[in-house]
Amino acid sequence: MTTQDRMSRRMPTSEHTIGPFFPRSLFGAGDSDLTIVAPDASPTRRGEPILLRGRVTREGGVPCLNMILEAWQADADGRFDHPLDPARHMADPDFLGWGRAWTDEEGEFAFRTVMPGGYDDPVGRRAPHVNIAAMGAGLMRRVLTTVYFPDHAADHAADPVLALVPAARRARLVARPEGMADGLRVFRFDIRLRGTAEEETPFFDA
Amino acid sequence: MSAEDVPDRFDPWPPGVPPQVPVPGYPNTWTYTPSQPLIRRVPTRTEATGPIRLDRKLLCGEANLAERTPGRFAIGQLIHLSGRILDEDGRPVGGAVVELWQANAAGRYANPIDQRAAPLDPDFLGHGRVRTDEDGRYAFLTIKPGAYPVPVQDTWWRPPHLHFSVLGPSSLSRLVTQMYFRGDPLNALDRILNSIPDEAARERLIARDLPPAEVGDRWLGFTHDIVLRGRRATPHTP
Repeated sequence: MTTQDRMSRRMPTSEHTIGPFFPRSLFGAGDSDLTIVAPDASPTRRGEPILLRGRVTREGGVPCLNMILEAWQADADGRFDHPLDPARHMADPDFLGWGRAWTDEEGEFAFRTVMPGGYDDPVGRRAPHVNIAAMGAGLMRRVLTTVYFPDHAADHAADPVLALVPAARRARLVARPEGMADGLRVFRFDIRLRGTAEEETPFFDA
Repeated sequence: MSAEDVPDRFDPWPPGVPPQVPVPGYPNTWTYTPSQPLIRRVPTRTEATGPIRLDRKLLCGEANLAERTPGRFAIGQLIHLSGRILDEDGRPVGGAVVELWQANAAGRYANPIDQRAAPLDPDFLGHGRVRTDEDGRYAFLTIKPGAYPVPVQDTWWRPPHLHFSVLGPSSLSRLVTQMYFRGDPLNALDRILNSIPDEAARERLIARDLPPAEVGDRWLGFTHDIVLRGRRATPHTP
């Protein structure tokens, strides 16, 4: 570390709870749709559009109202429109890969997206996945988890992140097929914030 | 935006900087906070990346919370708040989306969930969203919020505070935080502010007052910088 480097080092600002009052008015139409880059844009035509639904519960299985969830994932070919992706020039320009949703009285949320692609990372081959961050009153820090899909069981065995999860808890990170809606496959990924080791969703360090 | 402009190294949070949970006196934290240890992972591309043109999705440019309709000001002490969004190298984060929300001068949110018996101000909705310029700068014109009691047994009062949500160039730099005002006697009693163990880290959540001579007679001026997680793995030479 050079002197210059040391001098410029700043401590990160502390995280706080998002609280109960994150305004609904900060949500716009299509915020929970990862397939559109702007409210008036057309959805991408690459990949299989899918719906990702789930329910957030806390200790005792009680639904969590007004949780804010943010999703981030690669496009259908496993690329990101971001400077850190060496294949960025091939990323789908019509796919945003980010969305935000809130939970209703039943704790339910829904995203529209496309089935992500896997990609090669320096630490290994990542299986197709969606990263989810959940925030809400009662959560001083956001919690981070990852959704995998039952289509890719063979890829799961090689995924370097899933390998860090205790084997008995890995199945909690695989979404369940839940039929069709609007002609799209639906996947369910329920999030249990706090419970026993068997009940609780595995969360990753921020 | 090139690869040199975005952080690619995410050190663990320094000790004492993240809130300590669950929080005594904040009962929800005891039923929401995960009980199992968080799983450590090396950030892969999904964690290190994030949406970089989010201003197309989340419309920005709502910077004046105090005067939604020209000539109709919200009730309260007018304040001008500006600052910079930086990374851990101290480099400005341009193009970040900064969201702000807050209670009105009576300490009530214009949100149906807030049913406290305190007046609503029809001229104050209390939220805004802007995009930082290339120097990482943001600015809002708003009012100083009021304090409000937390509806729990053994209540405490939240000191006047603003909520910030900042979306930078990486999922790991995503930050939701709150900003406080210097000298408020409720700061020392606030269970949320004091969930941050490190005193210097708490101090960094308190805005700096600007001298009135510097900002003029239209509003009180405050400045507040926010540092997002993330650095460059190799120091960048301009």
